[in-house]
Amino acid sequence: MIEAHDLTKRYGDRTAVNGITFTVPPGTVTGFLGPNGAGKSTTMRMVVGLDRPTSGHVQVNGRPYARHRSPLREVGVLLDATAVHPGRTARSHLRTMAATHHIPARRVDEVIEMTGLAGVAHQRVGGFSLGMGQRLGIATAMLGDPRTLILDEPVNGLDPEGVTWVRHLLRSLAEEGRTVFLSSHLMSEMAQTADHIVVIGRGEIITSGPVQEVIDAVQGTAVRVRSPQASDLAALVTAGGATVSSEEAGALEIRGLTPQQIGETAAAAELVLHELTPVRGNLEDAYLSLTRHAVEYRSSPAVSVEEGGNR
Amino acid sequence: MTSLAVSSAPDSLHTDRRIRLGFGGVLRAESIKLLSLRSTWWTLASTVVVMALFALAQAASLQMLAEQSELAGAPGPAMQGAEVVSGGYQFGMLTVAVLGILAITGEYSTGMIRSTLTAVPSRIPVLAAKAVVLSVLTVVVGAVGLVVSYAVTLPMLTRHDLVPALDAPDTWQVFGGMIYFLVTVALFSLGAGTIIQHSSGAITTVLGFLLLLPMILPYITLDWVQELMTCLPVSAATAFLALDDRLALAGDLTPWRGVLVVALYPAATVAAGAVLLHRRDA
Repeated sequence: MIEAHDLTKRYGDRTAVNGITFTVPPGTVTGFLGPNGAGKSTTMRMVVGLDRPTSGHVQVNGRPYARHRSPLREVGVLLDATAVHPGRTARSHLRTMAATHHIPARRVDEVIEMTGLAGVAHQRVGGFSLGMGQRLGIATAMLGDPRTLILDEPVNGLDPEGVTWVRHLLRSLAEEGRTVFLSSHLMSEMAQTADHIVVIGRGEIITSGPVQEVIDAVQGTAVRVRSPQASDLAALVTAGGATVSSEEAGALEIRGLTPQQIGETAAAAELVLHELTPVRGNLEDAYLSLTRHAVEYRSSPAVSVEEGGNR
Repeated sequence: MTSLAVSSAPDSLHTDRRIRLGFGGVLRAESIKLLSLRSTWWTLASTVVVMALFALAQAASLQMLAEQSELAGAPGPAMQGAEVVSGGYQFGMLTVAVLGILAITGEYSTGMIRSTLTAVPSRIPVLAAKAVVLSVLTVVVGAVGLVVSYAVTLPMLTRHDLVPALDAPDTWQVFGGMIYFLVTVALFSLGAGTIIQHSSGAITTVLGFLLLLPMILPYITLDWVQELMTCLPVSAATAFLALDDRLALAGDLTPWRGVLVVALYPAATVAAGAVLLHRRDA
């Protein structure tokens, strides 16, 4: 369980995180979604006490992180940037982390086995690929068998097999009743992994809730209709308050009415329907429309001179 | 191979009450950290080698020094055997300083500090444990350096009848004092590294303070500057490292005063480092 209340972080006059309040409940995978620079990593660092909030507070499993007697047993952390000395072997790194909490060596071997690092455990971390580094980070997070996991971009750099593995791992951890909080800017990954999402942009929470609710709230559920009398139907439902779009002749996308309502409207007007399908919006579209105004580092084809001059 | 994720730890991990954060564990973690890096072993080995080589060079110059004082007609300040054997500390302190700095700046430059501080969020125990491990390691390397220096200078010292007597208090004042001084240098550097965070910046600052300042200050002939100079670590240490007052640079500091003055430097940097470590974002 993670509870953040009115959390704010400023660096000089730049506000990285601006008064965000959210809860990550146990037993679910909660995604933290936002474009680069939105404040995801800063928030996660504040949760585990690496960065001190300018104001507000955050608790993990009922206490501020630093107040826990055995932090590694409460919270497993994978941060986005590397947090390992490249001169140490993977096993030495895990041993130093385990030693702080008197975690036995056999647990170190277990997490090495679990994350598929057995073959490289005695190699120095400096030579690791991004994907192996991520596996080591996940192994570190799992050392204390924690009740809560906080993972910043865990699938970054993993091969497809690794991505599937992380997804299964996180799902099974949540099913065991643990709290799983992961950040990503990959919407598709979130859609497959997360139950809930918290969307952040420019340091503020844009929306949060169960994945499908967020999508529906943004887009409304569309209904795809095919009819030889499409234009008649479009006129009817538009009069009824729905919005209609059409990308090909004979096919409509209707928002604002349920499939039942459309079907009944069509029947009442004796119009023929060839298709009546609810279309669920996808997370990617929802995300793009949510964060359209919240992208800090927008990739623009050309930066105007005035804009550059103002900086 | 990895799709068979075994996420749960055996029950013993949940029920074992010994599995918790404690200073003993942090100490163990810090010693594994230091000893699992090749750079540590390189630094330790070069400390011993440098100490032994410098002691050897000093022993070799004994002949020349003896001739010079004979020519001058009066016996000049004479080095005793213990000082010859321990003389390498002036170079050994440099590698020990680097070791102390890297013990903390290595964590900042690699990002390891974030792992460290998530495991030990109260933070200060990390610095304390580093200080303990570093002190023990410095005592060991200082002692090994002395033994090796003793062995390599033995033939030459025998020729001059200067072999340090192992039952003389003076010998142990110098040997013990040298190891003590190296420990203060290691801790001073650890503190400075904690404050500065960057390896190169900290090494430049610490070596500048230890080496350059004593070379520059003599040119500033203000009384208070000269007074201050006798209190710099390297000068103040001669209050207990030089047996003949004429070889000491510590003004009128008594050996015990010297011991105290030398300790002020690590106390200051480690305390300031602890405050900053506690306050700063990692």
